[in-house]
Amino acid sequence: MAKQRRSILVVDDDAEMRALLLDVLRNEGYDVVEAKDGTEAVLALRARAFDLILMDKNMPGPSGLDLLPGFRRVCPDSQVILMTAFGDVPSYIEAVEKGAAEYLFKPFRMEELRAAIAKALHIDAQSRP
Amino acid sequence: MRGQWLRAIGNRLRHNLTTRLIILLVLALMVITGINDYTRLVHEREQLVAQTQKDERIFAETLALAVRYNLRRGRTTEELEGLLEEIVARPGLAAVVIYNPDAGVVARTLASGTEAPTPDDLVRRSLTQREAVSAMADSPSGRILRYVQPFRWPGGRTAAIEVQQTLREMENQFRRAVRTTIISRLLVLGLFVLSIVVLTRWSIARPIRALVAAARAVGHGDLGQRIAVPRQDEIGELAAEFNRMAENLQTANAELVRQAEERLRLEQEVQQTQKLATVGMLAAEVAHEIGTPLNVISGRAEVLDRVVPRDHPDRRNLDVILSQAERIKGIIRSLLDYTRPRRPTLRPEPILPIIGRVASLLMERSQRRGVRLHLEMPIGLPSVMADPEHLQQVFLNLVLNALDATEKGGAVRITAGPDPELPSEGRGSILRGKADTATLAVHVIDEGKGLSAEELNHAFEPFFSTKGRGQGTGLGLPIAEEIVRAHRGEIEMLSIQGRGTEVIVRIPVADGEPLAPQPAKEEVSKDGR
Repeated sequence: MAKQRRSILVVDDDAEMRALLLDVLRNEGYDVVEAKDGTEAVLALRARAFDLILMDKNMPGPSGLDLLPGFRRVCPDSQVILMTAFGDVPSYIEAVEKGAAEYLFKPFRMEELRAAIAKALHIDAQSRP
Repeated sequence: MRGQWLRAIGNRLRHNLTTRLIILLVLALMVITGINDYTRLVHEREQLVAQTQKDERIFAETLALAVRYNLRRGRTTEELEGLLEEIVARPGLAAVVIYNPDAGVVARTLASGTEAPTPDDLVRRSLTQREAVSAMADSPSGRILRYVQPFRWPGGRTAAIEVQQTLREMENQFRRAVRTTIISRLLVLGLFVLSIVVLTRWSIARPIRALVAAARAVGHGDLGQRIAVPRQDEIGELAAEFNRMAENLQTANAELVRQAEERLRLEQEVQQTQKLATVGMLAAEVAHEIGTPLNVISGRAEVLDRVVPRDHPDRRNLDVILSQAERIKGIIRSLLDYTRPRRPTLRPEPILPIIGRVASLLMERSQRRGVRLHLEMPIGLPSVMADPEHLQQVFLNLVLNALDATEKGGAVRITAGPDPELPSEGRGSILRGKADTATLAVHVIDEGKGLSAEELNHAFEPFFSTKGRGQGTGLGLPIAEEIVRAHRGEIEMLSIQGRGTEVIVRIPVADGEPLAPQPAKEEVSKDGR
């Protein structure tokens, strides 16, 4: 694939959702790592850097919105895409304010996911020297 | 039949002021003129009697002179009787008798049907005392006036002449006078009554009846009722006043109706938004729970969609899965679109009318519950960036909670100010949302039991309620929080167990309004952590 093994961290408490995202993204050629909650995500981020973090908003423990500012601080190079239930407009506003690159309302189509990732990484690629 | 008639008159007397007045007036008039007529008639009668007496005296004196003259000329008693016969033709004269000094009858003449008088005490008294005496006497033919006139008998002794005059003529005259008086009086009274009746009917009863009819119509709710006022007198004034009153009533009533309609509209609106918000909350909850599994289904189907060839025998199954997942998505989306409160349109708004509307909406409820509702908002508060309808929903939910939490006799206060009213000692708190601009803080303070730290932690979770089962939806606070967040404000709940709960809503003030000083801003963010 043309993409040079970009890395993505998928953070979602739902195992099936994680499995789907892993299958789809790996099939796209990404280097994908999964985490089932905030703690695992922090551990994964400590081990290595990711180009993109795809994170669910609603999780037991700290929510995606709670984790977002910390992630932006610790790894400012990682783009963040937040996922939440359809129609959660206030969360959307908060997420954008906290520095999320993209936002996906569940259920979303896989094309939407691909487009959002491409957009987030493309912007990132352009901003880099 | 007659009983009915009498009862009808009785009713008329009881209920008809005019009739009663007329009867009273006529009775009074009758008594006054009756007394007047009576005294006048009595006086007239006395005068008649006096006149008769005077006539009789003159007649008797003249007669006495004539008899004396005749006796001196030596006339016999037969001749005297002849003289008397001529005299007795005088109308009303009953008898003339001449007594000698020994009270013996010398001559006499009687009108027909008159009893012959006999010398009695009256005659003897006149003879002995030598003076004229008079007296009334009753006789079978009516009352008689007697007059005894002494005169010198030839030889120097005193004789007397008695004249008896019947009072019949006078009585008749008197009776005629009485009759004409009564008749003329009745005629005058009748005319008077007639004119009074006509007059009152035209000038009082009719306009009053019109007034009564109009007042009755107004009383039955026909406030458009007016009376034509063609007069300048008191009744005209009364009618004009009545018209003014009806006019005022009409405007006041229209205002009341308008207010009631406005209230109803507002209440329905609030109920509708509350209902929609509740359903919206549920739908959001459902959408949230369904979102992930649905995403997994449609995602997996999409994965298959890329690998299963168009002409594969199971292609149809996959297409159905894909389209049905889309369908579920559409259902949820339209449900949310329908029920979710639309995004607030923020604009500078004064806070006082919003709070005022909430207070007026809940005033009746608070009175019913025996809880006082105090609105203690200072004037001159800055405007806030708000959607009035949404913000109204927030305070409606908060004040409703506060009223429900407070026991009978307690009070719920709504104030504004930067600092919490509850003392910090033993106070638990929870803050939702975060404001990063200058805000205006509105406090809703109740005197309820307060919340434990555990209850406070769950207070903003959907379907959490401290009210009795079936009393609260458990959505009031989450909805309030959502609206406050959409306003980019924050909502804080403070509580001391056994003392009460205070909810502070902080809404950003409108652009151009003076920003709060820096330290206050930091304090807000400190609370937020």
